[in-house]
Amino acid sequence: MARLIGRRLLLMVPTLILVSILVFALAEVLPGNLGRSILGPYATQQQVDILNHHLGADKPLYERYAVWAGHFVTGHWGASLQLGTPVFSTVMRALGNSLLLAGFALVIIVPTSILVGVYAGLRRDSLLDRAITISTLSMTVIPEFVSGVILIVVFAVTLHWLPVSAMPPQGAPFVDRFYYLILPAIPLMLLELGYIARMARVGTVQVLAMPYIRTAVLKGLPRHRVIFGHVLRNALVPTVTVIGSQVGWLIGGLVVVEFLFVYPGIGNMMINAAQFHDVPLLEACVLVVAVLYMLSNLIADIVVALLNPRIRMGG
Amino acid sequence: MSAVDSQANATDAAPAAALDVRDLEVTFHRRGRDLPVLKGVTLHIEPGEAYGLVGESGCGKTTLAMAALRYLAGNGTVDAGQVLVEGRDVSTLSEEALRKWRGEAVAMVYQDPATALSPAMRIGDQVAEVFRYHEGLKKAEALERARESLRRVALPDPDATLRRYPFELSGGQQQRVVIAMALAVNPHLLVLDEPTTGLDATVEAEILDLIEELRGRIHAAILLITHNLGLVAHLCERVGVLYAGRIVEEGPARELFTDPRHPYTMGLLRCAPRFGMNKTDAALQTIPGTLPALGEPLAGCVYSARCPMAKPVCTRREPDLYAWPSDAGVKGAAEAEAMPPDPVAYSPHHASPVGEAARHARCYFSAQVPEMPQMAPVVGASLEARGASSGDVLEIKAVERTFKDGRKRLTAVHDVSLNLKHGETFGLVGESGSGKTTLAKCVTGLIAADSGTVTFEGKLMRSTAGRRSQDALRAIQMVFQNPDSTLNPAWSTRAILTRSVRKLAGSRSGSVRAKVDKLSADVRVEPRFLLQKPADLSGGQKQRIAIARAFAGDPRLVVCDEPASALDVSVQASILNLLVELQTSESVSYIFISHDLAVVRYISDRIGVMYLAELIEVGSAEEVFNPPHHPYTEALLSSIPKLDFDRRLQRIPLRGAMPSLSEPPTGCRFHTRCHRFLGDLCVQQEPPIQEAVTGHTYKCHIPPDELLAAQLADRPASPVEA
Amino acid sequence: MAPAGVVDDSRTQEMQADVAAALEQRRQRRYLVRALLRSPTFVIGVLIVLFWVFMGIFSTAFTQSPLAQHPFAILQSPSAAHWFGTDDLGRDVLARTMAGARTVLIIAPLATLLALLWGGIIGLIAGFYRGITDDIIMRLVDVLLALPVIITSILILSLFGKSLAIVIVVIGALFTPVVSRTIRSAVIGEREREYVMAARLRGERSAFVMAREILPNITQPIIVEGTVRLGYAVFTAATLSFLGFGLGPPSPDWGLTIATERVDLQSAPWTVLFPAFALASLVVGVNLITDGLSSVFSK
Repeated sequence: MARLIGRRLLLMVPTLILVSILVFALAEVLPGNLGRSILGPYATQQQVDILNHHLGADKPLYERYAVWAGHFVTGHWGASLQLGTPVFSTVMRALGNSLLLAGFALVIIVPTSILVGVYAGLRRDSLLDRAITISTLSMTVIPEFVSGVILIVVFAVTLHWLPVSAMPPQGAPFVDRFYYLILPAIPLMLLELGYIARMARVGTVQVLAMPYIRTAVLKGLPRHRVIFGHVLRNALVPTVTVIGSQVGWLIGGLVVVEFLFVYPGIGNMMINAAQFHDVPLLEACVLVVAVLYMLSNLIADIVVALLNPRIRMGG
Repeated sequence: MSAVDSQANATDAAPAAALDVRDLEVTFHRRGRDLPVLKGVTLHIEPGEAYGLVGESGCGKTTLAMAALRYLAGNGTVDAGQVLVEGRDVSTLSEEALRKWRGEAVAMVYQDPATALSPAMRIGDQVAEVFRYHEGLKKAEALERARESLRRVALPDPDATLRRYPFELSGGQQQRVVIAMALAVNPHLLVLDEPTTGLDATVEAEILDLIEELRGRIHAAILLITHNLGLVAHLCERVGVLYAGRIVEEGPARELFTDPRHPYTMGLLRCAPRFGMNKTDAALQTIPGTLPALGEPLAGCVYSARCPMAKPVCTRREPDLYAWPSDAGVKGAAEAEAMPPDPVAYSPHHASPVGEAARHARCYFSAQVPEMPQMAPVVGASLEARGASSGDVLEIKAVERTFKDGRKRLTAVHDVSLNLKHGETFGLVGESGSGKTTLAKCVTGLIAADSGTVTFEGKLMRSTAGRRSQDALRAIQMVFQNPDSTLNPAWSTRAILTRSVRKLAGSRSGSVRAKVDKLSADVRVEPRFLLQKPADLSGGQKQRIAIARAFAGDPRLVVCDEPASALDVSVQASILNLLVELQTSESVSYIFISHDLAVVRYISDRIGVMYLAELIEVGSAEEVFNPPHHPYTEALLSSIPKLDFDRRLQRIPLRGAMPSLSEPPTGCRFHTRCHRFLGDLCVQQEPPIQEAVTGHTYKCHIPPDELLAAQLADRPASPVEA
Repeated sequence: MAPAGVVDDSRTQEMQADVAAALEQRRQRRYLVRALLRSPTFVIGVLIVLFWVFMGIFSTAFTQSPLAQHPFAILQSPSAAHWFGTDDLGRDVLARTMAGARTVLIIAPLATLLALLWGGIIGLIAGFYRGITDDIIMRLVDVLLALPVIITSILILSLFGKSLAIVIVVIGALFTPVVSRTIRSAVIGEREREYVMAARLRGERSAFVMAREILPNITQPIIVEGTVRLGYAVFTAATLSFLGFGLGPPSPDWGLTIATERVDLQSAPWTVLFPAFALASLVVGVNLITDGLSSVFSK
């Protein structure tokens, strides 16, 4: 098991290097003149040259990449062009806010969606199953900002149950933050809930058709034992894999929801950085997100290995 | 104790039948259509009795088992009839009573043990579950009982097995676990659904021995469901033959198999090659036509469309299941006589047997069945008549092939050399993983050999098909095993053959179209099927087209990899006959791979036996099947259940499991399992190749004369034909 | 050689056979079509999507102009004159909602086609050749998949500008890895089948085996993948324009409208709600089609 984790962590290194090369190429090389792309068409050539020299953009590519990557590894992420603050601490503070929102959503989604999906799978083709299938299908495909505005209109504007803002006023106790997070978290949840629930349903339906379930039933086991002992464990394998890869979508969703609710997270920061051509900040955000995404896939792989003895022992 | 027992005792004093199926009708509902699967089946199994239910695919045998356990798939319904187990109607059981009843009163063993066990649960927990939920034992006690159960089915090292997961066990061990689970709480009725199908011959023998041995100790009645007549002959006292959802014949196993009284039973017995039969002795009898599809309307007798004895009356009204000989000889014939000449409306048959007797047959003309006309297909010509010359068409030298599996290196073919004469059939036998298919693919170039050479008609062949000349490709073709994937599902049959003729025969044959028509005529596929996609053809037809495809460019060597194994017995025979016939007319050589020894013996001139990637014995078909032969061949031959009641061979049990290909045993590769193990010599030294007679060699430390003496001594009444 | 008459005869026969085979094919296709028409999810999905396609093309012919401003009628709630009300510039929300489908319906299908084309070629090659080719391609695919689509597209669009063509190419490129993965696994499933081996034993070229033997047998997974991607392309295109990486004002595009009008969400929710519902109906429609197709195919 430890070997499996170790190997997967090692595998992340080349992927991370390739991702960093990709980001480096996209942000620093392909746009051509870096200084020009930051300053825009109306800056003078002298201004551009000075900025290019300041950024090191006049050096050879490999050297620029080495310096660039070296700074990232050592935590010297530079300063934001737009805000003037150090990128590292700025990004980390925003990341903390985003993790709070995403974590809050995930903690609710994962158990709920599995429960809903497995239940629908067990009651396959019943009226309830059809209702769950259709509504989860719709949930997964509606963009977060669409469900978000509708939710705002219903719960904040019309019913006044929840605040429109996503952050409590200064000085409010920490617990209050969760109350303010409910409304932004719901669009994220809807999307993931539908997807994971569908996966859990399909997994359950497939496992129910397996011969070993027939064995379990014909052994004369009680229904609860068949479901909890034999169905669930095997049905969860594809579901967990999906949860890992869904974190990518969750991050994409975060960007949208944070932008919609003006929430000070990494997604909102990324949009601002992108709109103001704040390249150092943008790069940092993207790389942090990539690492986060890979880690979540790693966790999913480990859980799958725990559920599946074959992978666990093969590792 | 349980509700089951008390009520069973309450019904009557005389012991009720272990299983009593009455007029059972089951229908499947698929895509808005009703497809009757069982059309009124009645059968009766006494306590402690073993009953064999025989039939080909789609006849409804597994459905019957599932209906008996009240576990029909969601789209199946019982329309009529009853299933009584120990006098209780299964359909009246409450959920909880049903649960108790399953496991305590009835239990089942399944076809594919690999999928019958829960993959993510330890073996111990799976077996212990039965005790926990049926006897209310605590986990530790239940595990203790599970250990006993595993010991009872002779699993080596039960303690270690308890902690293993299913994927860590071999197929044979998995099936032992399933059997242990089924027998855990001593059920009164044990349903065995193709318990050995898909297992290797020696493993099949092991499981059979186990079931036979357990029968002496448990008192469960057995319902054995299988297509393997030999298995039934071995295990069962009584047999029922199922065809298209009807029992067509029933009776004591021995009488039924030696003196069948239904044309279908007769056909089944005739179309499987008898052990030791060869193509030059007699052609295989075939059953014309194909198995009816589910829900296909059948007028009158269900078998009349394929019956060589069918008369007009047979299609008018379905015969009853007459008692034999009392009724069927007299009443059946009389009823047929009395039938008015014009077609009469279909009148429902009687599902139940008519009259009290040991035997029943659903035929008006049971008396004439022994004289059932024989088909007369062409008998295979002898080697000489086929124009076989002494020249070698193919020479394989020191072929070696290793695959990588993670960090392990699996040697699938190790140092194999052999040669094939022009016009000859070389049979290749061995269990799964012995390397026979890999070797065949090295010959055709689908897999590149790591080292060694393949010489065809004096020319060295390139290792992969992609590098071979069009001429070389044309000369060596292949027929594959799986009829469902051998033809491209997106192409029409004619397109498939046309493309092969274009690429392989090229301009040499005048009109491509004429050649395609001739090919399909040669393999007896009617022209109308050429317009169809493969999905619309039966398994046998698909395999015929695949054979036609291989013959498109007039090949000189065709490699047949289990060409008939996936087909039903009645279809298998006609494919084998076709191959024999084409060999005679096209003067082609075959490499014929099969795990079915009777089939290989029938079709081959020479045979090679493979074990763990090595060719351990080569000789003429007759020599290899008779002593002196390699101890492995000896064990393999002894393991086949034969349809023979008088001369039963003692099976030779092989020790242990098949070793891994990544770490083959030292010295002789067979030494870990050999029953003629000599000691250190076998462990340390690779055995020499011994020559029994000219052309018959085997790889063993025991010299031919000693081996012959030992093998004859162990089999005093050696029954294999002289 | 056969006499001329015989050859002619065999040609006519051949033609007859081809005609019969074509008929048979048409029969099977008709069966599929009928099964699809019997699937309510598929039919409803098609109707919704067709409605928006129709509106995207023709809506300006029978609604008010989506761009015309009425300075004296700003932020009016729905009425007989303006069924969906008016926005902050006094533009008719109904007209803007109906016309708002246009950009999404241009971007999404073209991006999907690009992704299918690129992903199809890459998937076929990786799945067919396996070995080192496959390893390298799949490694690169993993790298591209290591970044969420939205993030990468923001990165690229902010650096390269945001014309319609760039948005299409970016979405197409970012969906390519997923498509190639799906197609690769379908190809791997087919390539070990015996009919492919038979083709190799006939001396067929790799390109023929890929295009003529394997491709016709994986059309169903490709179609399903295509509709799934189409749904996500609509989703992504709308999201990008919401985030400000699509067309600029005064386009009536739904995502853009929601982004710009949300300041009035509390006072004039209709300016946002109608485009939101319209967008929701389009994505649900596309996904109903996917659902119908895959359930008919899987039977």
